[in-house]
Amino acid sequence: MHNTSSSQPPEPQKPLISLTAVSKHYQLGKIAVPALRNVDLDIERGAFVALWGPSGSGKSSLLNLIGLVDMPSSGRVRLDGQDTAGLDDAARAGLRNRAIGFVFQGFNLIPVLSALENVMLPLTIRGSTRKLARQAAEQRLAEVGLVDFSHHRPDQLSGGQRQRVAIARALVTDPLIVVADEPTANLDANTGHQVIALMRELNQKQGVTFLFSTHDPRLIDAVDKLIRLADGQIETAPEAPHATAALHTEGALS
Amino acid sequence: MIALTLALRNLWKNRRRSLATLLAIAIGFAAINLFAGYIHNVYNGLRVSAMHGEGLGHLTIARRGFFEEGSLKPERFVFSRDELARLTGLLQQQSDITVISPRLSVSGLVSNGKLSTIFIAEGEDPDAANRMWRRGIGLPKLDATKPNAGLVSKKLAAMLGAEPGSDLVTFTSTLAGQTNALDLEMLKAWDTGTAATNDKSLRLPLSYVQRLLDTEGATRVVLLFKDGVDADAARASLAPKLKAAGFDVDIKTWVELSNFYRQVKNLFDLIFMFLFSIVFIVVLMSIVNTLSMSVMERVREIGTLRALGMRRRGIVSIFAVEGATLGALGCLIGIVISVALGTGITAGQFTYTPPSSSSPVPLSIAILPATLASTLALLSVVSMIAACWPARRAAHIEIVDALGHV
Repeated sequence: MHNTSSSQPPEPQKPLISLTAVSKHYQLGKIAVPALRNVDLDIERGAFVALWGPSGSGKSSLLNLIGLVDMPSSGRVRLDGQDTAGLDDAARAGLRNRAIGFVFQGFNLIPVLSALENVMLPLTIRGSTRKLARQAAEQRLAEVGLVDFSHHRPDQLSGGQRQRVAIARALVTDPLIVVADEPTANLDANTGHQVIALMRELNQKQGVTFLFSTHDPRLIDAVDKLIRLADGQIETAPEAPHATAALHTEGALS
Repeated sequence: MIALTLALRNLWKNRRRSLATLLAIAIGFAAINLFAGYIHNVYNGLRVSAMHGEGLGHLTIARRGFFEEGSLKPERFVFSRDELARLTGLLQQQSDITVISPRLSVSGLVSNGKLSTIFIAEGEDPDAANRMWRRGIGLPKLDATKPNAGLVSKKLAAMLGAEPGSDLVTFTSTLAGQTNALDLEMLKAWDTGTAATNDKSLRLPLSYVQRLLDTEGATRVVLLFKDGVDADAARASLAPKLKAAGFDVDIKTWVELSNFYRQVKNLFDLIFMFLFSIVFIVVLMSIVNTLSMSVMERVREIGTLRALGMRRRGIVSIFAVEGATLGALGCLIGIVISVALGTGITAGQFTYTPPSSSSPVPLSIAILPATLASTLALLSVVSMIAACWPARRAAHIEIVDALGHV
């Protein structure tokens, strides 16, 4: 099971994610509070990209727009060349299911489902047969090292294990991109390190594109590309941190 | 499938709350079905009492206008002996008619020699009457060999101090307006079942009433059909045949003639609708309340499912299935309660005296599979509809807000 994007020849002229002049305002009473201002951003296939910035800088807003769970106030969001502006709710849901994997800070596993059922969930929603969903989920659980915990409920798993289940769930549909909002924020240092290593391994071995927001310096050290946000704008041009640039020169940098 | 899995597991997860909702539905369900079973037996008892006890059969045939003016001017509406013979002959060709009973009503005074009091009486052919009453409802029989003997209602017999074999006298006016009196031997006393008639009723042979009224005819012909025949359908089939034979008649069903049955049925139907409405609202509000709480607690879960690609209708279906499951399970528990209580109450052989009744009747509750099934289906659908409101609210929560919900 590999990322579909990795089996096709990359098209350098067509980034996986492309944001053009994207702004997002939230309405607080009568006041429009800007969260993102005129953001232009491209993310290439196979990238391992971090969004970094202080609280309120617009990281989550940007992830929400790229994850198609929110709509921009203005500007264009393109996913794999497709403009998402004209899609209705059902079409956006279908596109999220097919193309995007989510990893949440709070894991967001369904408490009444086992680890295996949680991983099967995106395929079940898609309408895959139970047999196919189960096979794919078992394979992904094996990849994150939790095959022995298939039948455990989330409350029977540690934080690190829950986040591994969440990663397996994000990957089970072979998405074009995995969007992760502060994936290590609720984990202790050691577990966080293991989760970072797992994501990096999946990125390198399977070419899965990862985009995540983080405050975690260990995670920032591991990325190919760091996008700094401040006051809803990209502060500096994308760059590869010194610590990782030498290690990942073959990585899919933009 | 995922909707059912999530519904069942969430119901189990919140089992204390689910149980409270289930019991509300189950008790409501049982209340509806126990009452339906009770009034079913009441209606059945009243039907048997009206058709066989009161002797209304299925249909009553009389000359047109009799039912409006017959009690004031009975002489105008008498079928002559020849007409009766022709009518009876025609009716005997109908194989589904089991009893053909010509009738003649009379009222007047009855006396024991010392005390006189009013009576109302029905004159009927003893054989036909005895077959009409065959339904094991405890009525004594007229004696075809004793043309001057009749049955006296219990309270009237008590008032007159009469016992079986006692001699009484009846007084009335003939149809021509002459005063007339006849000796009457009391056969037995019988309970009419209603306090209003138990102190003034007689059942007499038709020939006795004919002599008392000085006529050879009858004003009505009562028909009893085979079991299961619908009175309205029987009338619809019979009316054109009688018209074709030259009889200008009105035909009334037993329901139309039994005011008491109609009044009791209307009252109980009203009470049933009232009870059903209350249960309907209780079930609706229980489901809405339970699922609203469930939605509030699962906002993040809803956001997660939406982020993973579930459409709004998928979210609606999760809560709709949860509501329907609660409804169906509640009804299943309700079936158990209904059957257990209904059977227990009937087996307990309790009795009570209904208003205007002259004697206690058994309290029995019928178990009605068709009513149980239709209530189950209806309350399940109500539960599903009740679930739709919180479900639609859940489906329209913005994903970003839901994911950020704590």
